[in-house]
Amino acid sequence: MHGLVTEIQRFSLHDGPGIRTTVFLKGCNMQCGWCHNPETISARPSLCYYPDRCIGCGRCVLACPHQAHQMKGTLHVIDRSLCRACGRCAAVCPTEALLMAGTVMTVDEVMREVRQDRVYYDESGGGVTLSGGEVLCQPAFARALIEACCAEGFAVALETNLNAPPAVVADLAQKADLVMFDIKLIDHGAHHKETGAELTTVLENARMLADMGISLIVRTPLIPGVTDQAENVAGIAAFAAKLASVRYYELLNFNPLGASKYASLDLPYAFKDSRPLSPEKLSHLKAVAEAAGITVKVN
Amino acid sequence: MSAITFINQYDAQESFDYDRRLRLLRARKVAQTEEKARAGGANEDDYGLIVQDAFIYQLAPNHPNGSIYGYQAWVENYCSVLAQHPLYCDPLDAFVGKGFLFLERLRPKAHKWNPDYPFDDLQVLFDRYNIIHGIDNCHHFTPDLQIGFDLGWGGILDKLKRCRSSKGSAHHEFYDSEITVVEAVIGFLHRMASEIDRLAEEEQNPHLKANLKEMAAVNRHVASEPPRTFREAIQWMCWFSILSRTYNRGSAGGQLDELLRPYYEQDKAHGVLTDEEAVFYLACLFLQDSRYFQLGGPDADGRDMTSALSYLALEAADKINIACNLTIRVHDQLDPAFFRKSVVCLFRNRQGWPRYSSDTALVEGFMNCGYTRDQARKRVAAGCHWMCMPGLEYTMNDTVKINLARVFEVAFHETAVREDARIEDLWQCFNRHLEQAVNATGAGIMHHLKYQTRSQPELILNLFQQNLIEKGVNITDGGANFYNMCIDGSGLAVVIDSFAACEQHVDQKKDITYPALKALLDADFAGAEGQVMQHLLMRSPRFGGGDNPALTWAVRIKDAFTGAVRALCRRYPGIQFIPGFFSWSNTIAFGKAVGATPDGRKSGDPINHGANPNSGFRRDGAVSAMCNAIAAIQPNFGNTAPVQLELDPGIADDEEGIDKMCAMIRAILKSGNTLLNVNIIDGAKILAAHRDPFRFPDLVVRVTGFTAFFAMLSPEFRQLVVDRVKAVNPTLEQPALPDECTLSCPMPIE
Ligand code: SF4
Ligand code: SF4
Repeated sequence: MHGLVTEIQRFSLHDGPGIRTTVFLKGCNMQCGWCHNPETISARPSLCYYPDRCIGCGRCVLACPHQAHQMKGTLHVIDRSLCRACGRCAAVCPTEALLMAGTVMTVDEVMREVRQDRVYYDESGGGVTLSGGEVLCQPAFARALIEACCAEGFAVALETNLNAPPAVVADLAQKADLVMFDIKLIDHGAHHKETGAELTTVLENARMLADMGISLIVRTPLIPGVTDQAENVAGIAAFAAKLASVRYYELLNFNPLGASKYASLDLPYAFKDSRPLSPEKLSHLKAVAEAAGITVKVN
Repeated sequence: MSAITFINQYDAQESFDYDRRLRLLRARKVAQTEEKARAGGANEDDYGLIVQDAFIYQLAPNHPNGSIYGYQAWVENYCSVLAQHPLYCDPLDAFVGKGFLFLERLRPKAHKWNPDYPFDDLQVLFDRYNIIHGIDNCHHFTPDLQIGFDLGWGGILDKLKRCRSSKGSAHHEFYDSEITVVEAVIGFLHRMASEIDRLAEEEQNPHLKANLKEMAAVNRHVASEPPRTFREAIQWMCWFSILSRTYNRGSAGGQLDELLRPYYEQDKAHGVLTDEEAVFYLACLFLQDSRYFQLGGPDADGRDMTSALSYLALEAADKINIACNLTIRVHDQLDPAFFRKSVVCLFRNRQGWPRYSSDTALVEGFMNCGYTRDQARKRVAAGCHWMCMPGLEYTMNDTVKINLARVFEVAFHETAVREDARIEDLWQCFNRHLEQAVNATGAGIMHHLKYQTRSQPELILNLFQQNLIEKGVNITDGGANFYNMCIDGSGLAVVIDSFAACEQHVDQKKDITYPALKALLDADFAGAEGQVMQHLLMRSPRFGGGDNPALTWAVRIKDAFTGAVRALCRRYPGIQFIPGFFSWSNTIAFGKAVGATPDGRKSGDPINHGANPNSGFRRDGAVSAMCNAIAAIQPNFGNTAPVQLELDPGIADDEEGIDKMCAMIRAILKSGNTLLNVNIIDGAKILAAHRDPFRFPDLVVRVTGFTAFFAMLSPEFRQLVVDRVKAVNPTLEQPALPDECTLSCPMPIE
């Protein structure tokens, strides 16, 4: 069983309870303009280029079978329209100016990495988090990973957008110890406009998981001007408060670190001038959410 | 000779509670530290040393080279120091005694070792492999303070005299020297007590006057008698600190909570001590000196020794929040509330204390040397990276180091001249040179043991060894019960990564041949081709990167080093040689001695820190990956290969974060690691302090095993700390701190 993995991040402290290893699967079925992991959106490997690391050695020019790289004097330029994402240039680039996001891995290969932090999971009540991209986009691989983790006694959490048919969601979620999912916007029209996906699917899946008694954490990324209005947060909190198995509602402050990743993919980034919310605004939104009668955390 | 006192600094009406006194004492300490830093600083422990002009001692040499050797010269000089040493007395303090000098450092640097006992042949090898041989290094083992508590200086004197009378003349030089020293100590302490009496008369403030009177009575008693109360016991410890520091800088403490518990419990039962007073006394002890103490851990039966006093010791350190060398010994039965409280202190105060040792890893390792579990449990944290059984062993801990990066360099330059060289040839050659380096080091230690008495006898620490006074010999002449000689390897990660890089790029990918690589290294990666190759080499599997070929090399190299060191035990029966991996603050000096290496390191750059991986070891900088790698290279004979961790305070800013950090520490130690040093460093603050160290005179970092005021460090050393912070915090940018920085210590300074 193979899957496309963007990254395996060990010693992760913010992707669920305890100390965790987060496996980022590649490919997402929403298109949120603020995503701070844009390299995970495409369901194929993506070539990232960080020009500040380039030393102009020209090794990529020789390596690329499709002539996507050129040296203009000592200046390296890349024509992405020619790129077939084979990864040959990144393999020879000495400085990691070129990096491939997305590696085909077997379940065993992932587990070999995951297994190394067993003592950290045991001591902290942590485990493995499957994240994305969107974990539901590779359901068979995700299922195999969850089963492998369960077989070794590792707790599994899913980080998902719940944008998939209920049968797929239920199949994966029932084997997980925790499902953390986003509700970005509570207005149906706005949700569709900003994410390209139907809010109804998300909410129905959420209710289904609650009915199944699966432990849930609801999260909202606070994107300046998009999701950070009090009404939005209040509406999501009110929905979350009605889910019987919800642990808490988490507000995630805007993370501006995605800008360099967009640049590395030659993608436009609409939020490059946005800044994290002020502590005052965060505490206001926290209070707004708490008014729905739910425990709220801010990260 | 004029005393340094702070008499009549306050009006008669001023009143003081313990917290105010501590705030004022702390402020004085910070000011004194700043003075030391402005006077040049040092890349080492704080030692509680005071910069002053009141007392400058002129060494009286007994050798034309200007140095002193043997019993008589050390006794005479030490007694002269004591005869002239002024009192340092702060009426706010519970205790007197600050040190002004280390006699051992007054000797000319080039002439510490007695030239009558040369080791020129060995020196050739020491130079070749860049070995810190430890010959003439002193202390670095642990005294048993219980001996002092039981006997007092007067009891020690009586014992010396008694034993002398039953021993032959071969031992008289030892006894006569020690008797003269102890008599001088007692005279010195009586003089101090009298001076405090005089100061008590002078002091106008009634509160401080009363303190001075009590202080004088305490000092009068402990000048020769065993301490009876909690306050007397700590005053005794303060004097012991000064007396051993002044002689030769000895820093080891012991199991603080257990040492003082009987006094604490007895005084509490008699109603003469409150917890508030106990905290004040302990805080004064920590302010006096950054001596190494252990708290918690199992007793001989495995029961946790955490007591009310362990909590009070943490509370005291928390109150003064300054350079402190406290180690918590972690085991399964450790009081979880105490452990958690210590982690809260670590993250809230951000001063690099406490640090954590693993009982299991240390005990099981030391038992591999043939010791019992009971003996292994007595081996308490007492130095930068080391453990020692108080009063039982001689160790040379942290004084002997082999620059493994240099050993690799010698092997590489020998192997890489051949076009057909292969990685196994390099490995065999490295092993040959490693064995030569270790053998030379072992021979150096034996030379030291044989002649150290004729260079520098351990006049103070000898008195706190079990059965040594009865034997009537210096500790290096058979006075110790056990000889467990420490040999540390430094630069391990440079060697591991270099082997992994050679294997991948020369042997497997054939990107380059050994002679071509040697040429690149000789040219220090100059030119475009050199630059490309340097980057490629740096992309090889790294130690700390996970379960990769570098880890295989790591274990291989660890086994080779451990095997070579342990082989010395067969060569020199009766003596244990114990391997560890540590660099102390030699990372810069060792790095300067080594040219460019195949891991991509440039010529003269520092070697890796202690047992840590090189920076850039893994893209996610995962703490667990780094610590698992260090766990894999533990030699497992009771000495350490410490983990040095730099963490951002933000990761434990709530209860859940503290829980995770508690779990992290337990996991790091459960996975086989021996010792964990943690720096909680606010990235922006450290960068700002690097630019202007005097902006944060009270910023403390754990440099290696020791904590130090950041301002005391040289710019090169500050850079090293900054680099380590950046390694696990790759997004750290230049700071945008306001001029009036709000990140100062949590305790307001008056
Ligand atoms: S990934 Fe492959 S096709 Fe794309 S630029 Fe690199 S070498 Fe060329
Ligand atoms: S291989 Fe890397 S460093 Fe060399 S020119 Fe291409 S992008 Fe730049």
